[in-house]
Amino acid sequence: MSTGDPAEGFQRNTFDIKLQSLFLSAGETKTVSKGDFLISEGEIERKLYLVESGAVRVFYLTEFEEMTVRLGYKGSLITSLSSFINGTPSEFYIDAIRRTTVKSISKEALHALVNASTVNLKDYASLLESLITQQIEREIDLLISSPAERLERVLQRSPHLFQEIPLKYIASYLRMTPETLSRIRKS
Amino acid sequence: MISTMRTENNTLINELLTITDACTASAKNFRQLPPDMLNFKEAPERWSILECLEHLNRYGDYYLPEIEKAIMSGKTSNNPLTFSSGVLGNYFANLMKVKGGKIIRMKTPADKNPAGSELTPITIDRFIKQQEKLRSLLEQARKVDLTGTKVPISLTRFLKLRAGDTFRFFVYHIERHIRQAEKAKESAGRRSVVESQ
Repeated sequence: MSTGDPAEGFQRNTFDIKLQSLFLSAGETKTVSKGDFLISEGEIERKLYLVESGAVRVFYLTEFEEMTVRLGYKGSLITSLSSFINGTPSEFYIDAIRRTTVKSISKEALHALVNASTVNLKDYASLLESLITQQIEREIDLLISSPAERLERVLQRSPHLFQEIPLKYIASYLRMTPETLSRIRKS
Repeated sequence: MISTMRTENNTLINELLTITDACTASAKNFRQLPPDMLNFKEAPERWSILECLEHLNRYGDYYLPEIEKAIMSGKTSNNPLTFSSGVLGNYFANLMKVKGGKIIRMKTPADKNPAGSELTPITIDRFIKQQEKLRSLLEQARKVDLTGTKVPISLTRFLKLRAGDTFRFFVYHIERHIRQAEKAKESAGRRSVVESQ
């Protein structure tokens, strides 16, 4: 889901406000230390997280590397999405990049909110539409050959990225080495 | 145990698969252990469970893609194949083989020395993925000419071993470090028994 900057992709509609109050009223608070996992590959995701402070990384593990697929910081909604939606084993790990506090709600709580009214249902549908659009943006990110252009695209969406996330994870997200990323930033 | 010179592909592969599966099972058991046991070091120069596995991961990072390249390009046959060990390859393979439960300590190249790196239980998951890859490559290797197909060693590309010997060396190396990790686990277990008395 969103890479975290509230300016990016997130429609400030009434559902979003209702979702935020659901987190406030029914959300479970949890604080994790750097390196702790919110979920590991193979587990079933039952929670939707809202990051209150700190930062998290969603990554895919191959035989050879940890590949960052999402980053989240204050204001981000984070979950292992396909597992959350389908109840299937998570393909991803989510870990805390530094000490992080999250609020979580269950799938049941989310569905209760969504089904509470036709307005909520419609708003949820537009939230999903915006999410699909973000996914396509991300897909295009990965097709672009110029590292500088990939960086530019992500900075447009998340201008505060470098303040929140260490370089090595941004580099992984952008599919380049930390050295290449440093070099691009300097020029 | 494979004796030096000639063996059938299937016999070799079956032996290596048995060892590989046993090592994977050990790793899956390690996954259940708490972090302090995984990081336990009997002495500063002895490796913890995670250090043993990270060392193996680094070798896998080099060898798995190289072995895969060789398997993809090697000559294949649907007829039963035999493998003949090379002199040097056989030497390296036997050097690695764990004999009689004793582990002889050897020097490790600097880039393959995991000591001091930041290690987490992800190291174990990555190792298990490498094992699955290895298993798949071993199965594919049944139909490949493992004598004529060569794989360069990690120290220098100028030295190539027969693919069958590379597989042996690689699998025996994993076996030896898994044994080492099991011993670290036993020490860690003994230590916590002592501390809880």
